[in-house]
Amino acid sequence: MVEPGRPLPIALVMPGNVRAGQVISLVEVTGGLGAKVDASRLADELGADIAVLLTILDAAEMLGLVKSEKGNVSLTELGLRFQKTSKNKVRMLKEKLAAIEPFRTALELASKGKAVTAGQVSEVLSEIGIKWHYQPELNESLIKALLIHWTIYGALMKYDGKTGKFQKA
Amino acid sequence: MPENREQLVTGSPIVTVDHVSLNYHNEKEPLPVLADVSLTAGKDELVAVTGPSGCGKSTLLRIIGGLSKATAGTVKIADSEVTGPRSEITMVFQNFVLLPWRTSLENVLFGLSSRKDLSIAQKREKAEKALEETGLMGFENVYPGELSGGMKQRVGVARALATDPEVMLMDEPFSSLDDLTAERLRKEIYALLINPFTSVKTVIMVSHNVEEIIELADKAVVLSQRPAHVVGELTIDLPRPRNKKSPEFFTWVDKVYSLLS
Repeated sequence: MVEPGRPLPIALVMPGNVRAGQVISLVEVTGGLGAKVDASRLADELGADIAVLLTILDAAEMLGLVKSEKGNVSLTELGLRFQKTSKNKVRMLKEKLAAIEPFRTALELASKGKAVTAGQVSEVLSEIGIKWHYQPELNESLIKALLIHWTIYGALMKYDGKTGKFQKA
Repeated sequence: MPENREQLVTGSPIVTVDHVSLNYHNEKEPLPVLADVSLTAGKDELVAVTGPSGCGKSTLLRIIGGLSKATAGTVKIADSEVTGPRSEITMVFQNFVLLPWRTSLENVLFGLSSRKDLSIAQKREKAEKALEETGLMGFENVYPGELSGGMKQRVGVARALATDPEVMLMDEPFSSLDDLTAERLRKEIYALLINPFTSVKTVIMVSHNVEEIIELADKAVVLSQRPAHVVGELTIDLPRPRNKKSPEFFTWVDKVYSLLS
C-alpha cells in the first residue's frame, strides 16, 4: 500500500544495470582527462559502448559526481573529492544514495528495526509506477541486485542471504 | 603459516619450471602438449604466460600448482619439488569456482577447511580479513548468485588469499568480466597481491589478453602452438602505473604480438 502523503512521483531512480565500479571508473577517467571531456571520448577511454556509458553517466550525475552539459562531462566538487579518496568511496555517497530509488523505499520500510525483502520494496514501488522490468519476478530480482550492491557498499543496509532480508546498517 | 615458508630465498626464483613436458596418450600414439617448457618467477614478480588458444597454458598452470603431473621435467617452489597440491600454492580460476549454496564467507572458509592448525575462530577471522581486503566487507552473508561477476571474482581472490599463499596462480582471472569491471579489478588485484604486506611472493597469470599482460606483468612468457614450447620471454620494464595509451605501451604490445604470430 502507498502511504497517504507519500510524495509522487519520485524522480531519482538508479539504472538497473549500473554498479559502483563503473561509476568509480567513470569518475577516475573523467578526472584524468581534464576539465571537460566529450562523452564519446569517455566511452572510448572506458572501452564501453556509448549506450552503456550513458546509463553510468546518469547514475554518476544522480549521485552528484559529474555534470553533463551538451555532451561535455566534468567532475563536480564532490566528484573531485570522490576521485581523490582511496578507500570506501561509495560510503561518501551514503546520503545521496538514500534519496534514490529503490534505496529510499527500502530504507523507509526498514526503519524502526524492521527487516525488509526485495519483494516488499518491489511491491511498494510498483504501486507508484517505478519498475525496472515489466515482469514482477525479474523486477524483484533487479531490485534485489541493486539493493545488495549499493546499500552494502554504501553502508546503508545489511543483508542476510539466508533469509533474503535487508536491515538498516 | 605454510611449512616451507622459511625455505624461500630472496633473490633466487620462487618458482622454477624446469624442462617440463607433457604427453597425452591415446590408443595409437602419444599426443605432445607441452614440450620442454622452462620459466622462472621471482620475488614480487608477476609473470604472464600467453600463447595461442588451446596451446596448453592452463595445463602448464595446473602442473605448476601440482594439480596435474608432467611427463618429464620438474616444478620447484624454492628448492622443494612440487609433486602434488601444496598449501603455499593457490589458484584463482576464470569461472570463479564458487559453491553456489554457500555464502561469500562460507566460500572463503571452505578454502581453509584443510588447515588443521587453525581454530574455527581463527579461520573466521582470516576469512573476514580476506573479504575486507578484497573490498567485500558487508557481503559476508551474500550468495554467489546474488553477486556481480567482478564481486564473484573478488570472493575467489579472497578465498585464495585467506590461505596465506606464497604462490598465486591465476587462470584468465579477468576474461569473463566486462571491460570496465575487468579494468578496475586488474588494478586492485595487482595492488593487493604485489605489496610487502601480503604473504604472496609471486604471481603466475595465464592470459590471452596482450594489453592486460603489458599492463600487469613484469615478465611475459610466450608459448607456441601445441606442442607448446617457449618462443620468447620478455622482461617488461615499463614504469608503473602503466599508461595504456602511451607509445611505449603499444611497442610492448607489438613485441608480444610478433612473438604470438
